[in-house]
Amino acid sequence: MHIVDGALAPEVLIGGGILAVSGLALGLRKLPIDKIPATGVLSATFFVASLIHVPVGPSSVHLIMSGLAGIVLGWTAFPALFVGLLLQAVFFGFGGLTVLGVNTVNIAFPAVVAGLMFRAVIARSNPVGAAIWGGFAGALSIALTTIFVAISLGLSGEGFVPAAKLVFFAHIPIMAIEGFVSAAAVYLISKVKPALLQSDHEETALRMQVAAQRTKQAREVQNG
Amino acid sequence: MGRCVTLFAATFIMIVTMFSPAHAHKVIASVFPSGSEIEGEIGFSNGDMAADTIVEVFDLQGEKIDEIKTDADGFFVYTPQKNVDLRFRADLGAGHIAEATFDIADLSGLMEANTRAALSQPVAVDVGSRSDTPAITPEQEQIIATIVRDELRPLRREITAYKEKNDLQSILGGIGYIFGAFGIIYYIAARRLRAKA
Repeated sequence: MHIVDGALAPEVLIGGGILAVSGLALGLRKLPIDKIPATGVLSATFFVASLIHVPVGPSSVHLIMSGLAGIVLGWTAFPALFVGLLLQAVFFGFGGLTVLGVNTVNIAFPAVVAGLMFRAVIARSNPVGAAIWGGFAGALSIALTTIFVAISLGLSGEGFVPAAKLVFFAHIPIMAIEGFVSAAAVYLISKVKPALLQSDHEETALRMQVAAQRTKQAREVQNG
Repeated sequence: MGRCVTLFAATFIMIVTMFSPAHAHKVIASVFPSGSEIEGEIGFSNGDMAADTIVEVFDLQGEKIDEIKTDADGFFVYTPQKNVDLRFRADLGAGHIAEATFDIADLSGLMEANTRAALSQPVAVDVGSRSDTPAITPEQEQIIATIVRDELRPLRREITAYKEKNDLQSILGGIGYIFGAFGIIYYIAARRLRAKA
């Protein structure tokens, strides 16, 4: 899932970098102040998830948890996953610094797509329904990521179709597991803190106004 | 409904208990000197070795020198022809590239070994003839070198494995960095909000 340094052509690296920067800018602009803690927590989740190993046959796969970030954060998944990827590259040597842009796009963009697709229906469903849709979103984001990885490799000279097949089939077990874990997480969230799954910009804006009002009042009290 | 909850709880616990802060899916390539040859190993950190993979040999300028194939255990042996530093590169597919560089100075080298043998021979004979102390013949030296290499091999592997280990400190450190970074973002956002008010 993480492409390493030296596997891609420079054009792909530059293109990935530009896309990642635009995604980051968009994500940061759409970051409301009350979603910042959730962004941090999901970034940390993503960072640690890659260390959770699930044995599959003789080999093992690791979790990615990008789908959950997409559901909860939408576009803000970009900065969250970027920070996670950066620290994974620095601390664990997953991926690398030159491929950071490409990896961010490959992992965060599918998360955003899955999030935008399933957010509304998850917000409307009861916990069990939300869990099922959440599971789909988790699996879908991995599937899309494998296709993105195959595109990156295909653009760098490796044949697209064989690369796509290899990456896609290698990740079928992780899609299933990821879907399951995402479903469990969404179920938990919709039971404990359903507000996290609502994508209500109006409410957020209103709350921000109220907060601003309060600060203003507090200042006036202090000054006067 | 209740069963559903228990099912999810059970899966969650199952996955959490499997949690081991161990190595993840990462490519590992290591090369080490072995007499006049270079031994190398290529594989994934989860124990899958790169069997029957083509390893390309480059010099540091990026010129391709040679090509070798790993055996079933991802192990390969290369005999360098020229006295230059080498870079080994293997494409394991799906964006996994294994790369390792080798400093030719680490190699005792065939040429050097020959000269050393030529030098030590007369000395050994001299000493032997003069004081009857048993001297080490080049053959014995070779045998000792082989034994030492065999003894060291598991240690080298262990060091490679140790380097790939993610200990709890770096995991916690990473989480700390994340929380710190988002704390700073929160601070900036809060300042902006105050400035607006």
